[in-house]
Amino acid sequence: MALYEYSWLILLSPLFAFAVIIFGTRMWDLATRGRVASQPAHEAETHAGHNGHDESGSDVELMHEKGPRGEDLIFENIEDPKVPELTPGAKISGYLSVVIMALACIYAWILLLNTAGLISVAPLLPTQGISLTQISYAWCQNIDATNNCFGLGSYVIAFHLDNLTIVMLVVVTSITLLVQFYSQGYMERSAGYARFYAYLSLFAFSMLTIVFAANFLVIFIGWELVGLSSYLLIGFWFNKKRKPAEDRLSPSSASIEAFIVNRVGDVGFIIGIMILFVSTGTFSFSQLPTAVMHMDKAVLTVAMILIFCGAIGKSAQVPLHVWLPPAMEGPTPVSALIHAATMVAAGVYMVGRTWFIFAAADPLAFQIVAWIGGISAIFAASIALVQTDFKRVLAFSTISQLGYMFVGMGIAAGTAYGPGLGMFHLFTHAFFKALLFLCAGSVLYALHHATHKETQDMRVMGGLGPMMPITAIAWLIGTFAIGGFPFFDSFFSKDNIIAVAFDTGNYALWAITLITAGLTSFYMFRAFILAFGGKGGNWGGLWGGTYRGKVYRIAGVEEGNQDKTYLVEMSPEEKEHVKVPHESPLTMTIPLILLMIPSIFAGDWFNFYPYIQAGAPALTVRDVLDDWKTWAGLAVSLIGFTWAYVMYARVEFARIHDYVQNRAFLRSAHRVLLHKYYVDELYNLLIRYVVFGFSHIAQAFDTYVVDGIVNGVARLVTTIGRDVRHVETGRVQAYMIGFFGGVAVLAILVFALVTFVK
Amino acid sequence: MDLATLLFWIIAIILVGSSLLVVGLRNIVHSALALVVVFAMAAGIYLLLDAEFIAIVQILIYAGAVTILILFALMLTRTNNVRTNSNPINKVWWIGAIISTLVGAGIIFAVTIGPYSHVHAGGGAGYGPQNAACPLPPNNVAYIGQLLYSPTCYSYVLPFEIASLVLLVAIIGAIVIGRED
Amino acid sequence: MGLSLNHFLVLGALLFCIGLYGALAKRNAIAVLMGIEIMLNAVNITMVGFAFYNTVKPWSTYLTGQIFAIFIITVAAAEAAVALAMIISIYRKRNTVDVGEINLMKW
Repeated sequence: MALYEYSWLILLSPLFAFAVIIFGTRMWDLATRGRVASQPAHEAETHAGHNGHDESGSDVELMHEKGPRGEDLIFENIEDPKVPELTPGAKISGYLSVVIMALACIYAWILLLNTAGLISVAPLLPTQGISLTQISYAWCQNIDATNNCFGLGSYVIAFHLDNLTIVMLVVVTSITLLVQFYSQGYMERSAGYARFYAYLSLFAFSMLTIVFAANFLVIFIGWELVGLSSYLLIGFWFNKKRKPAEDRLSPSSASIEAFIVNRVGDVGFIIGIMILFVSTGTFSFSQLPTAVMHMDKAVLTVAMILIFCGAIGKSAQVPLHVWLPPAMEGPTPVSALIHAATMVAAGVYMVGRTWFIFAAADPLAFQIVAWIGGISAIFAASIALVQTDFKRVLAFSTISQLGYMFVGMGIAAGTAYGPGLGMFHLFTHAFFKALLFLCAGSVLYALHHATHKETQDMRVMGGLGPMMPITAIAWLIGTFAIGGFPFFDSFFSKDNIIAVAFDTGNYALWAITLITAGLTSFYMFRAFILAFGGKGGNWGGLWGGTYRGKVYRIAGVEEGNQDKTYLVEMSPEEKEHVKVPHESPLTMTIPLILLMIPSIFAGDWFNFYPYIQAGAPALTVRDVLDDWKTWAGLAVSLIGFTWAYVMYARVEFARIHDYVQNRAFLRSAHRVLLHKYYVDELYNLLIRYVVFGFSHIAQAFDTYVVDGIVNGVARLVTTIGRDVRHVETGRVQAYMIGFFGGVAVLAILVFALVTFVK
Repeated sequence: MDLATLLFWIIAIILVGSSLLVVGLRNIVHSALALVVVFAMAAGIYLLLDAEFIAIVQILIYAGAVTILILFALMLTRTNNVRTNSNPINKVWWIGAIISTLVGAGIIFAVTIGPYSHVHAGGGAGYGPQNAACPLPPNNVAYIGQLLYSPTCYSYVLPFEIASLVLLVAIIGAIVIGRED
Repeated sequence: MGLSLNHFLVLGALLFCIGLYGALAKRNAIAVLMGIEIMLNAVNITMVGFAFYNTVKPWSTYLTGQIFAIFIITVAAAEAAVALAMIISIYRKRNTVDVGEINLMKW
């Protein structure tokens, strides 16, 4: 049992790393650093560049400002400052984080392997898990004998370890480790290197807080902390400007949007927690499933729906999905870690943790969970069909796959699966989505390094396969894993969800998830072909092809302002000596290779369902192959793959574009999808007119009523004073008139009193 | 009516009339002369009330000294040609009229028909109690002398002394204020 | 009809309010002073009337009203002297005796 009792070390080690980096090594780094970004961001030699061809073939500037003669201006020294050489303080920050996370990861894997029965260094965990009592801290001072505080349950910071926790531990620590290792290459020579690792460690601690939480309060602490870490990490390049031509926000705006939309979901979360607390008197996950049996079912259902609102915000489901695409403004390792594998999975994990409370409520709660998941799945998948930004395709794909997880959580109501159905897809999805994001980062890194601009538009990529083979193969494996290719990951996790949907009678959800599977495979394969393949490549356009784009060289730096650099297109003679994009360094490709393994084999853990929930049926290959629904799903996803291949590998991109633009229905459908169903515009209107409308009303109230009263009193006093002072005329006769006037009034008074009051 | 009543009415009418002239005439020197008549008639009223000493003092002080004082002041403060209005009326004279009417009416009401007024008829100046130390003075002047100066009988010696101080202060004050420097 | 106290009191009241009108409604400072003199005389008449018609024992035997009147005359004379000195002094400075123009204590 000692193995389990020391597992809180996993929780505290990233916090320790964070503290050491922030107070120690980063200070050292800042102190020993010379002037940042004194080196121009570009060398004088020429590199291959690219420009944007829009679909109609004319040259259009995709992202940057123009100089006085039409050259491109870039501001890299400001937007992404680099140092010539990393100081020892920064390097040690990186090493420290990686080493600590490696130790935590090894510990987590030992825990997993032990409890799954594969190795045996300690007895198995009991089914209800153990509580890590070393850090159980009771807040309330007034605890009586029954652990109650003023009649309600006491507030305790308690942590808990069971099989569900261990699964998430493995996911979080492994992916964090690989992302931290990857960042050594991606964030090389960045001026904020130490800060990046500090924030990554903070994020790891926050996520582990959520994972280890034994009651709602602790999970809420972790919830908010991951929101904070997400804010800090998305806005990492805080000097970057927005690029309205590509519909990209600045990272500062994107980070604020992420935090605030999360907050909107948290309102429901908090209200739900409070309803539960007031009704049952406890926050604890272990006591609540029995305690809520005595509650009024309608109230419980409302509370659970509100709690699910928190998951909607955190896991970016419709209608609170709007923060995830702009969150791609952060560095790609951040997107891989937070917005693909772990933070957005926190919502799913929370629903999994409280699955039995949901089960005690009305079936409506689970129906809402499943339907919101289903709607998000198809919503996001349809938008991803037409996106041209590399990372944005992956962002919508994440929203869609999270929808699948919620569908899995919801439709397991009444079955023996428990939370396992959705958790299995979470487990596999984390690996292949992280793989896909890291590949995307590798591609962007290579293109940025070889050219001088930051381009994420797939329309100007193409034929990168032979230039970056490892990345391309990793992407292909990830595509197969997400698309449900036979015997890859999703074949077992996602298709199982689709099958169980049919089995439990949710035919509409079955249809939705089936169609979404087809869309998923289509858009992922489309992304692969647009980036790595193209017409004219090997194997019928799958591998290599034409590289669409112009080639640039540096034309110089603006006088007096070293931060502005000009790029200008090369002449054909100079194109002879062009350097093409090449494969990323080893620090970036090793994680890719390592992630390929679980992307292929993580779905083969057939005992996952019994591992999570005792009594759930295990997955067997025979059952899977015998089921007709499997073949239906397989057929749909293969149709998706084939259609993508036909459209993008055999037919030229420009021809497809013209075809779409020439037909009114397709053109308008394309525009709606490109603008993401105009949800962003709707929210902007809502905020501008409703929220700011209220603000203006409140401000008017404050200015005119509150200030009016205060200033009005002052003004009244002043006016009275200014007008009454005229009584003092300085003439004695006027005063005498006042005097004797009073006497006259008294005379009248006396007369009246005497006459009329007998 | 008897002689006293007749005299009273004559003196009273002249008194009120000349006081109206004091406040009404446009030439201020004429007003000052009407004021002399007022003082003289007041002395007459005192005589009707058996206050001979007061009457003589009134003539001496008021009709004599105060009048001369006022006439000298008028002489020294002439602002313009005497033909123009040297005794103008205030712009808001009607407020003064209303106020004085009301005050007068109030007093007259209280005196005549108010609930605390009663008619005094008859009467005469009775002289004080016989006392061995303070014999009854024979006439008004002696009695006032006793009331002002007597050290043994009931007297107002102290107010008298203080009044003399007041006069001293007034003399010095008037000299100081009226100095030219 | 015989004389009674009321005659003298009414006479005093009339004179008082005529003097009051003169004090309130005249612009010449000396005219105001004349109004005040009339008022003081009215009071004197009232006082002496009370001295004559008193019935309150034991003070009815003393001429309190006449003593009062003496003192009033004294003080009125002193006050008239000082007031006229002030008016002359103001006249020397301002060359006016219009009370409406002496308003340095204005707001």
